[in-house]
Amino acid sequence: MRENFMVKHILFLLVIGSICCAKQNVYEQNCLSCHKELAVKIDKFFYRYLLKYSSEVEVKKAMIAYLKNPKKDTSILQDGLIQRFGIKKRTTLTDEKLKESIDIYWDTYTVFGRLK
Amino acid sequence: MLALKNWDINLRSSEKKTLWSFLLLYAFLALLILAFVAFLYYDLERNLMLQNQKESLSNLTNEQISRLKSLHVNFEKEQTYPRDERFNSAIYDSSLKQIFSTLHAKKVNLYEDIYLENGRIYFIKELESYYLGARYIVIEVPAPKRWDRKVYRKLLLYGGLIFGVLVVIGYFLLNLLLRPIRETIVLLDRFIKDTTHELNTPINAILSNIEMIELETLDSALAKKIKRMSIASKTISNLYDDLTYLVLSNHMGSHDESVDLKTLIEERIEYFALLLESKKITISTDLQENITLIIDRKKMAKLIDNILSNAIKYNTLQGSIYFSLSPEGIVIQDSGRGIEENQIHQVFERYTRFDRSVGGFGIGLNIVWTIAKEYSLHVKINSQANQGTCVKISW
Ligand code: HEC
Repeated sequence: MRENFMVKHILFLLVIGSICCAKQNVYEQNCLSCHKELAVKIDKFFYRYLLKYSSEVEVKKAMIAYLKNPKKDTSILQDGLIQRFGIKKRTTLTDEKLKESIDIYWDTYTVFGRLK
Repeated sequence: MLALKNWDINLRSSEKKTLWSFLLLYAFLALLILAFVAFLYYDLERNLMLQNQKESLSNLTNEQISRLKSLHVNFEKEQTYPRDERFNSAIYDSSLKQIFSTLHAKKVNLYEDIYLENGRIYFIKELESYYLGARYIVIEVPAPKRWDRKVYRKLLLYGGLIFGVLVVIGYFLLNLLLRPIRETIVLLDRFIKDTTHELNTPINAILSNIEMIELETLDSALAKKIKRMSIASKTISNLYDDLTYLVLSNHMGSHDESVDLKTLIEERIEYFALLLESKKITISTDLQENITLIIDRKKMAKLIDNILSNAIKYNTLQGSIYFSLSPEGIVIQDSGRGIEENQIHQVFERYTRFDRSVGGFGIGLNIVWTIAKEYSLHVKINSQANQGTCVKISW
């Protein structure tokens, strides 16, 4: 009986947890969670991409390509930073989720509509 | 048509039409070529002006780019697009999507380098680093005030000059075109002049001798023959007068005097009496007294003669002529074959004849027209085919 209660309890917690987590979007969950810990803010990366790739399509394409297959050659980070952080791991997200995160990432920092 | 006046030829309307077509075509071509050259020149000048502006525009662009750079670096704190009172600007990303713009123009041609539109110069530059994602930057400044004033003035001056030269050339071309026509007319005139000169003496001899014959003393058959001879020689005499008038009219002075028209007209009708009689034409008159004109008597007689002789010549056998004189003018109405409506406008042209079965050179009405013009008389011809012609001379 007691074990049964425990299982129920854990299940309950899991449900509550997942509901809590669902409030955070894919981007916050999968990207920010880790990037918050980094010394260089994620917006700096964004503007570096913008500087190099200009348009929305190009930026997103380059980001996805990098996150799927991070390499020293394709990174927009300066050598010093790369040495400090090391090359990140390949993303484990599905294409769909990755695209969704990148879209949110773009919308968060895009210049369009924010210039006055 | 100065050229035509100078030559003193009366061109036929078809010839005039050809000439006008030629002139129109020539002017059109000349203007077309001029417009093309003017356009090229204007384009050249405009490009020159734009090239001159390029350097200062490039400097302005660099200033704007450095402002964009600092905005890019501090974008999370500051989002105000840099503005400058000297110019308007806009930035576009690599997919040519507009990021931000303060331009007047809604659409910009990013493939150009520099261009002029609606009095504004647009200068386009590609960025090396895409600050704020901007790959292209466009700077808009008003074009220098009245930069094209000088260009237009030059175009007008040189265009006018060249057009003037083309007009002169056109004049000579026209000369060339008209020469054969003129030569034909001169030839005909000279021929008539020569012929008439040789005709004068014999005709006068015949006429004066016929007049000396006393018809009453002859038997009627012979008298009739003599009358016919008289008519024939009068016809020749008339023709002779017409021709000399035509050929010498330019050199003939006018001897103007007060002419009593009723007397003159009666005299002229009397002169044609035999001819009228031979065609059995009845003539009715309504001539008011004491109407005078200051005119050369011979010319007025010639004018009346010509109208009258036409009225007889083109009349039918046993036809009629009505002759009236009023303070407003003269009306001569015949019952002849008339003139086709579409030919009326040609009647005053020299050597125009409507009926080759009737003798003549086609100069009669041309003479009427010249005389009427000299004394500012109005000639009006109304005619209906097969019903008759009405000539009105008014003053
Ligand atoms: C496990 C931690 C972690 C997670 C999760 C993570 N990142 Fe990163 N990310 C890093 C580190 C570390 C770097 C710096 C090293 C590098 O650039 O490879 C980095 C670099 C980047 C860069 C710069 C790439 C470059 O060209 O160097 C971008 C952009 C980026 N992350 C976006 C994302 C996005 C979007 C997500 C979510 C889908 C994400 N990251 C998830 C750790 C993470």
